[in-house]
Amino acid sequence: MAQSFIRQLQLVQICSCFLLAISSSVYSSTNLEIVESGSQYRIIQIQVSLAEENTAKLGDKSNSLASATLTEQKSHPNHYQIWYATQPFDNLSNARMHSYVRIAETTGLPQPSIGSGYDDCWADSEPAHRDSLGIAVFEPTTRTWSCSLTGMLPETDYWFAVIAADSSGQPIRFDEPILTVPGRTDIGDQPPPAPDTQRVLLILCSILLFFMGLFAYLRWSDLRTGNLDSRWAHIYVAPAIIALAILSFYPVCYGIWLAFTGAHQSSLGEEEFIGLTNFITVFNTPGFLRVTLFTLIWSIANVSAHVGIGLLLAVVLTRAELKGKLFYRTLLLLPWAVPGYISILAWRGILQTNGLLNDILGTNLDLLAQVTSAQVLVILVNIWLGIPFMMMSMSGALMGIPRDMYEAAELEGVSKWKQFLHITLPNLKTTLVPLSLLGFIWSFNMFTVIYLITRGKPTVGFGEPGATDILITYVYDVAFQYGQYGVAAAWSVVIFLFLVAFSWLYMKHTRATESAA
Amino acid sequence: MSRSVPTASNEQNQEENTEQDIAQRWYTPAEIIALRRWLIWAIFVNLMVLGVEVLRDNLFAQQLHTLGIASLIVCRITLSKANHLPILRWLCVASALLGISLGGYSMASSDFLIYDYWSRLWLIIPSALCFYWMLSSRVSHWVSGISSTEAQRGHARNRTLIPLLDNIGTHTFLIHAITLVIIPMLWILDVSISPGNVLGGKIGDAFSLEHFEKVLTSAEFWLWTKNSIIVSLGTTVTALLLAIPAGYAFSRYSFTGKKASMFAFMLIQMFPGIIILVPYFMVMKTLGLLNTAAGLMLAYSVTALPLGVWMLKGFFDTVPRELEEAALLDGCNQLQIFWKIVLPLSIPAIAITALFAFLAAWNEFLLALVFNTSNDQFTLPVGLASMIPSTGQRWGDFAAASILVSAPVVVLFMLFQKSLVQGLSAGAVKG
Repeated sequence: MAQSFIRQLQLVQICSCFLLAISSSVYSSTNLEIVESGSQYRIIQIQVSLAEENTAKLGDKSNSLASATLTEQKSHPNHYQIWYATQPFDNLSNARMHSYVRIAETTGLPQPSIGSGYDDCWADSEPAHRDSLGIAVFEPTTRTWSCSLTGMLPETDYWFAVIAADSSGQPIRFDEPILTVPGRTDIGDQPPPAPDTQRVLLILCSILLFFMGLFAYLRWSDLRTGNLDSRWAHIYVAPAIIALAILSFYPVCYGIWLAFTGAHQSSLGEEEFIGLTNFITVFNTPGFLRVTLFTLIWSIANVSAHVGIGLLLAVVLTRAELKGKLFYRTLLLLPWAVPGYISILAWRGILQTNGLLNDILGTNLDLLAQVTSAQVLVILVNIWLGIPFMMMSMSGALMGIPRDMYEAAELEGVSKWKQFLHITLPNLKTTLVPLSLLGFIWSFNMFTVIYLITRGKPTVGFGEPGATDILITYVYDVAFQYGQYGVAAAWSVVIFLFLVAFSWLYMKHTRATESAA
Repeated sequence: MSRSVPTASNEQNQEENTEQDIAQRWYTPAEIIALRRWLIWAIFVNLMVLGVEVLRDNLFAQQLHTLGIASLIVCRITLSKANHLPILRWLCVASALLGISLGGYSMASSDFLIYDYWSRLWLIIPSALCFYWMLSSRVSHWVSGISSTEAQRGHARNRTLIPLLDNIGTHTFLIHAITLVIIPMLWILDVSISPGNVLGGKIGDAFSLEHFEKVLTSAEFWLWTKNSIIVSLGTTVTALLLAIPAGYAFSRYSFTGKKASMFAFMLIQMFPGIIILVPYFMVMKTLGLLNTAAGLMLAYSVTALPLGVWMLKGFFDTVPRELEEAALLDGCNQLQIFWKIVLPLSIPAIAITALFAFLAAWNEFLLALVFNTSNDQFTLPVGLASMIPSTGQRWGDFAAASILVSAPVVVLFMLFQKSLVQGLSAGAVKG
């Protein structure tokens, strides 16, 4: 870092007044210090020191009420949250939590090096251990630790607070932080050098001109061949095609080019051709096979369940003699009608340790923290989400099957199951084949469910895809957490080739069975 | 079993006898037929219940349920063979009795949770039905062998009874399905009207509108709503402006390059969006469109474009050409025809296309997350998700905001259910 300097904030007045207020509270020996570092990434460091447990001092208090609460909580809390706000902490509703620190045994937990993630925390320049949720964990003997808070705006006044939390992560005594300190971030860095806008504009303009020329030529050739019918057609189609070319085809080509460059967050605009290096990185990612395998399991499980259950519901709902069909259909459509992110987040709340599922079952399980149960649950949520679409698509197709086929079968005494096998399925095939392929591609690229429920956790290894990561969510991390745009583009190309290969095989296979039948 | 041996004296008589014979051989009481199906479901459900007991680490309940499943399996196996071996019938009755008592005992010894009642009933009710029906006189007749006239009467009874029992089964299935579907919705509703930041808890135990009040008075919620409305409306307008002429041209004219352009639209629809996420992001960054409404608007309209073009083309195909020809004779030019005749006729289709584009933009999450990272440019999806970070989650506020956001969308969706579903599935299958 070029301008890495550490500046102690001169906050003597404010600190002493807080110490006054704090001396009557439990955490009298806690000491909060803001150390501001050079803000290339606009980082603020917070240092929290805890003195040795000081029972003698607590005993000095004459007030019996105070000493009662004190003895109750005489040990230091084990969970700390660092909050920040842009106004003093009289009302915490405008504050946001930034970091989370736990004091616990650290044996067996990974210890990622400083700089490999957001919100670094360390004690005595030793990086913190991280638990399965990525929370910093310190040994119980730790007395002083520091955290760097990323993403603060430059030249802004902030108020920081350290708040004790209970073991479930709920802050205790919102109204009484351990300590609050105001701080100010220094001026921001020089904005990164303006990316080469001209080159992109040049490309976009040339695409525009190319298509205008192309359409003019097509129009002219139509005129020459005497096709008068196309009078306005090219002008009508041109805007849509040009928009498509600029905003879809161009990014695709640009993405393929990016995959061969060293594009990175820190060096935007200077994309250097580096050959196949990114692809080697992709295939050498620890856990590459694991994440690919899970993506496959995820997609196949989802598609089969969507198609299977959707078909079952569609068949049931098209039964002529069923009463209340409209009622059922409307309710069953709800997962489709409600915005996806809302129901996904609702499921996350339901699946939490203190959520509805544990209430219903009378248990206290942290299902999202274990690998297998987390994997099963994200799949189940996505199944829940995707059924209505398949159900409706298939009931549309079911309506198209002539009724008299069933009537004839009924007269012949063919059982319902046999009717399904020999009438419904063959008739549905032209819908089922493209629909399931489409479902596969959609599941393969289903980002929201995993991002919102687990974010790929439980963590397997630092920098590796997590246990519930699928390819797409991992690409997101590579691109927007680690900033490796080139590598992410290479991942995208690999995924795309995989999908193309899969679709090709699938279509070939289904066509083969079609001609064999 | 007594079977009437056909006497070969009269051909007519013989035919009749064969028919009766068939009736007799193929007769199974409707109850048995229904039970055969239901017991499979019951075994399936009980296996899931067993899985939950494994999660609960409740060894005693695990043993009870394993036994229960075994008894259901025995019932299922012995059930349909009961007319061949009478002892199987008594085996079935005995194991059904075992199932009832196991379920009853398990229910009495468990906590009084709704889930416990439900799961135990899935053992008790099938067993009880099995027990009751196996002892019924109808089944007794069937087991001890029935005459052909009785069999024919039985067939007649089955014809009315089987659909009835089928319906009961279907309704049970559908009720389970809708329960699973509405649980998250009910949960959101409950959390939003419960005071404080509680998850779970009993449904409807306390009431408070504090979360709605907080959300409705918070500046950021209205800011996000404003952003979402701008982006969604912008998307709708842009997409329509591009899609209407293109759809019309595809429907009406034949021109060089038509096939290639239509193929291009199809190809784009097949493209998984994530592939262009990174290059998209970089183009937007270079053009300075990150953290603006315009960037999202452009991205969304291109996503909505192919489906819109296909739907509109499909609709324009149904507008009779004669109308336009008549107008042409009356001296209208192409533009007038389009404005004055085609457009007014296709307002319903355009409205549905617009609704598609609007809903897609209103609900989109990934691009909004990547493009607009600053709090004051959040759209509702990203804003609402930001209420639920990994710690310090504001569930109550989130739930209240969710209801406010999704209620209009759900109403719109349900109102235009039929056309939306048709359009989407058609677009999907075509693509």
